[in-house]
Amino acid sequence: MLRSATFRFAALVFLLQLVSAAALIVTIGTAVRRQLRTDAQRTVAVLRDDLRASYAAGGAAGVRREVTLRTRGLVTPGTVLLLIGRDGTWLGGNLDAWPPSVVRDGHATEVTLYRTGLNTAEPMHVEAVRLPGGERLLVGTIVAGEARAMRMLEQVSGVALPLALIFAALAAWIAARTIVARLEEPLAALNAVAAGDLAARVPADGSRDALATLGVAINGALERVETLMGELRMATDGLAHDLKSPLTRMRVVLERAAAQVREPAAVESLDRALAEGDRLFALVQTALSITRAEAGIGREHFVTIDLAAELAGLAEMYAPLAEDQGRTLSVESAGSCVAPVHRELLAQALGNIIDNSLKYGAGPITLTLCDGARETGREAGAQVEMAVADRGRGIPLARHEDALRRFGRLDDARQGGGAGLGLSLAAAVARLHGGALTLGDAAPGLRVAITLPRE
Amino acid sequence: MQAGETGVANKVLLIEDDDATADFVARGLTEEGFVVDRAANGRDGLFHATDGSYDCIVLDRMLPGIDGMGVLGAVRAAGIETPVIVLSALGAADDRIHGLTNGADDYLTKPFAFVELLARIRLLIRRGGAAKAVETVLRCGDLEMDLLARRTKRAGKPIDLQPREFRLLEFMLRHVDQVVTRTMLLEGVWDYHFDPGTNVIDVHLSRLRKKVDEGFDRPLLHTVRGAGYRLGLDP
Repeated sequence: MLRSATFRFAALVFLLQLVSAAALIVTIGTAVRRQLRTDAQRTVAVLRDDLRASYAAGGAAGVRREVTLRTRGLVTPGTVLLLIGRDGTWLGGNLDAWPPSVVRDGHATEVTLYRTGLNTAEPMHVEAVRLPGGERLLVGTIVAGEARAMRMLEQVSGVALPLALIFAALAAWIAARTIVARLEEPLAALNAVAAGDLAARVPADGSRDALATLGVAINGALERVETLMGELRMATDGLAHDLKSPLTRMRVVLERAAAQVREPAAVESLDRALAEGDRLFALVQTALSITRAEAGIGREHFVTIDLAAELAGLAEMYAPLAEDQGRTLSVESAGSCVAPVHRELLAQALGNIIDNSLKYGAGPITLTLCDGARETGREAGAQVEMAVADRGRGIPLARHEDALRRFGRLDDARQGGGAGLGLSLAAAVARLHGGALTLGDAAPGLRVAITLPRE
Repeated sequence: MQAGETGVANKVLLIEDDDATADFVARGLTEEGFVVDRAANGRDGLFHATDGSYDCIVLDRMLPGIDGMGVLGAVRAAGIETPVIVLSALGAADDRIHGLTNGADDYLTKPFAFVELLARIRLLIRRGGAAKAVETVLRCGDLEMDLLARRTKRAGKPIDLQPREFRLLEFMLRHVDQVVTRTMLLEGVWDYHFDPGTNVIDVHLSRLRKKVDEGFDRPLLHTVRGAGYRLGLDP
């Protein structure tokens, strides 16, 4: 997600860079064009005023002389002049005829015409002037410079645009890199905390921008999480301590009493009391284990082990119990499969599931270890699934939730005296590993699966 | 009954702040033939412990003053190698690992059965007392286990054992005439510290008993009521 967000951001930076480069070139082009046009207009205005002055001084003949003078040599190479008489006769200049497109007097326009003696048409800025005597004067200047400037600009753009493209890509890459680099630290801190290192924080980089503020906010939240976890740990430890000390005393008293009495009835009662005490203790212990696992306490004790060997060990441990019931317990696994786990808790979770099957299930029990891809549809190899399946009556889908609830017991278990914590603990342990516990139909029978991430 | 094999009573230092628990444990150990000294806080406990004349120290994890782990650290730092059993109300496996890596020899969670504590103290004292040479053949009466050849015989007749049964019997043979509790077996043979539910250990033991004792007049594997098992010649 971060990758695609970064990519989008980079693409946006790239696009903006490109647009700004293009806009710059267009703006420069427009400015140059406008400047050239203004220059042409000014040149034409000066020329026109000069000729008007000549007319005022020397009349039509004076203008004619001036026109001839100005067009003869290369005094001002870009000059365009044409003087025609009242009847339209050519009086002087370097154009052969009055251009039909220039009609109104005092109107400036751009035209492309041939000057006398030249065989290429040139773009020119011209203005028609009606002289007081009725003669018409066309004053203009060649604007080939503008076209040249435009051509130059095009050439420059040809170089500048690819360069802009490269710089835009570079800018986008740097921007994306910077963002990713700045996000890496908060991300690493959050991942570390999720993995159990509650002391992880986003390092402060001294800046005061939005990302630094984000880091500070994240640290604030993590601080709170750590405090709460610490309090929870203290609360569970305190509860454990407060409960266990009196239980220890009770146990010692009962034990010593059992060692002293001889009367069979008393011995039996004391043994029962001891057994009940142990069950009470086991209950407290399991409930605390669930709370701790749900709180993520214990991640620091993960070790990478071969799950196939672990399953084989558990199967070996429980197999005699299955055999005593006339059932079998076997393992199906496709080679070794290592994953970081809390060995003790995972073994206890799987042990609880097997124990449940021994108590409430029927038929052969199969432990399977496989790639989790089949169940979750996720990428193969990212997860591993450990399942315990039997061929008993199973649990109807509608009762699955009840079976997983803390202290939730189904009818079979109510008779048996289970506390209803076995599956809850297994589910909590699965979650501690970032995985999940699922109940399924083995058709017939119950299939309990724990899916764990392999990383 | 004397606790020490040599006839000299073994000395146990009990560092426990809970008076009731300390009372019962001390009385129980005294009845079993131990000489027990008590300390009710970490400071006194450490003072006694540095004396170094004890065969075993039973140390509560949560103590007023210096905490149990602190006492343990100080004792080990002083170069005292007396075996230490840590008692703790913190039952989680993690705390156990923490305790053992900090120099404890054994770790027992409250509430514990007194027989469990007793069995473990005896185990530690015997282990500490005799630095045994590496044995390759273990014996108990006419039962013989060759660790190198991985063969077991009783009265010359070979006994066919599964790998786990072999390890189970090996554990029992290493603790001949001592009470071995179910938790000790679970920890020593399976390396698990949780309650596996049902009677897992009992089932394994009864299978082993069939192989070891069936067909012989004199049973070697005995069930000790309310405690665990014992391998030995005496009934």
